[in-house]
Amino acid sequence: MNYSLDVINLYKKFGEKKILQNLQFQLGQGKSLSIVGPSGSGKTTLLRILAGLESPTHGTIMLNGKNVTHHKPNKRNIGLVFQQPLLFPHMTVKENIDYGAKMAGQSSKSKTADLLRAISLNDYADRFPAEISGGQQQRVALARAIASEPEVLLLDEPFSSLDVQLREELRYWVKDFLSQQQTTTIFVTHDLEEAMLMGDHIAIFHEGIFQQLDDADEIHKHPVNPFVARFLKSHLVIDDHQYIPIQSIRSRKPEGEHRSYTAKLLHWTYTLGQKTGHFYIEELHETITMPIGTIGLKEKFSIYLPLEKIQFFQEAGNRK
Amino acid sequence: MKSYSSKLWIHLTPALLFLILPFFGIITAVRHSIFADEGFTLNFYQELFQSDRFFSSLAFSIRTSIIATALAIMIGLILVRLFHPYLAKLSPRISVWLPMLFPHFVWGYLVILLLAESGLFAQVLSAIGWIDGTNHFPILTRDPYGFGIIITYVWKEVPFVILMLLPVYAAIPTTSYDVVKTLGGNRWDQFKTVEWPHIQPTLIETCLIIFSFTLTAYEVPALIGTTYPEMVSVLSYQWFYGGSWDERPLAFVVMVCVSIVIFMIALTSYLYLNRRRMRAMRGRL
Repeated sequence: MNYSLDVINLYKKFGEKKILQNLQFQLGQGKSLSIVGPSGSGKTTLLRILAGLESPTHGTIMLNGKNVTHHKPNKRNIGLVFQQPLLFPHMTVKENIDYGAKMAGQSSKSKTADLLRAISLNDYADRFPAEISGGQQQRVALARAIASEPEVLLLDEPFSSLDVQLREELRYWVKDFLSQQQTTTIFVTHDLEEAMLMGDHIAIFHEGIFQQLDDADEIHKHPVNPFVARFLKSHLVIDDHQYIPIQSIRSRKPEGEHRSYTAKLLHWTYTLGQKTGHFYIEELHETITMPIGTIGLKEKFSIYLPLEKIQFFQEAGNRK
Repeated sequence: MKSYSSKLWIHLTPALLFLILPFFGIITAVRHSIFADEGFTLNFYQELFQSDRFFSSLAFSIRTSIIATALAIMIGLILVRLFHPYLAKLSPRISVWLPMLFPHFVWGYLVILLLAESGLFAQVLSAIGWIDGTNHFPILTRDPYGFGIIITYVWKEVPFVILMLLPVYAAIPTTSYDVVKTLGGNRWDQFKTVEWPHIQPTLIETCLIIFSFTLTAYEVPALIGTTYPEMVSVLSYQWFYGGSWDERPLAFVVMVCVSIVIFMIALTSYLYLNRRRMRAMRGRL
């Protein structure tokens, strides 16, 4: 099958530090992949390598069947939207968008006008970046990248510099915009919710590899290892082989076979209007977050894990 | 608002006090250039504009200043572009700026010591047999083409250009270059889109300062230049301190004319830099 993007055994080392370890994945035309992982895990480096701004130590990057591994950034048709909008301050909104099209030799008045309409900034066409808000600037940056008609568009935490409310509004807008444009995208974030929203598939990135690449449902139902389970924050990791979904944990002794542990309340917050406790399970040295509900605000109490709810980590290929 | 306004004037007072002296000089020069014993007259201007000596001096001055300014800007720009990450370190930066500590006069004297026919270079080249004698060394000081003046100013102003441009280059976000690259731009596009808009205001200001200084400063051309054609500063000095009282108003006329030229260039530059697009570049709309 001919993929839009085919990454084969991508490896990158900075000194002794391994950033990418034989990373492999494929992305079909018009598909979107969210890469999520802790800060400093090398997500941005991966995007920079794909865009050609850094070279891999070894490995191959195929773009629509063409090997572009050693092509310069301007010779591979991959767009990149950065964390900051990085608009050219001396150009108007219209000129910034047109610049992307010009660089790709695809400039036309109607295209710029269409993109301006698509980002709902027709009335701001002649304004300079200093005259529009951060969210509007990021929309212009996205339109500028789209204007160059990239075969694959990379987005490196493009909402991280925006406030929470604006970030949420812009997520839906960008998602719709990119699916309308039928653009193949890779979206990098450290926010799991954002990753679920923006990608058809999610790749959880840690220690230079994708710990798991699947859709959001599958990742939540069957995390493949303790790192993924902990990262999702929806499971209690019992040991290197077993875990239990948090909603299966009981605060009252169940009738069937079970295990019990002592939970210590660290602090509590509100999540989606529900009082949520952050607990430390002493015997497992694990921290979990779950609704306080009927538990009440006790400093220490017992939690019960029904044995039939305890699951084993299984690699994707070994799952029944 | 009132207190802000009065505070502003308090802050401006030292600068305004300092400006009294040059303003007094300009007003006096203008007055002496348009008044004679018989009252208001434009005769001195008429006389000056009929003087071949003035026009050849003006042409020589403008040519020398433009060449010195252009060379200093180009060399300074190339050095900053190539070495700005290295120049950000303290010791290389200090070594580049060291020539700025010396007065222009001292630098002119150094050029004579090094590049005169009897200077160090001529003697060394003669000693190693590259030239037959010191008299075969090219005439680079007190020459009719202004080589000595140009060399002195270029040598002295390159560190100034570096001083002006280094903070600009340090402030250019490297990710802006990446934006151009990922949009499909080449090295020229990176310069045109990222670097040029950042450095253009500083380059214009630096050009203006160096050009005005080289056009009007006296000591270097007096030390290292010829008697004909001489720079306008030397010419007006001679007219001012020469034996003839009749020539003194001409010195004022020269200085008034040069001031008007510099003022017009400065005004044009200011209007250009204050355009909406340029203000947008600085985020001051």
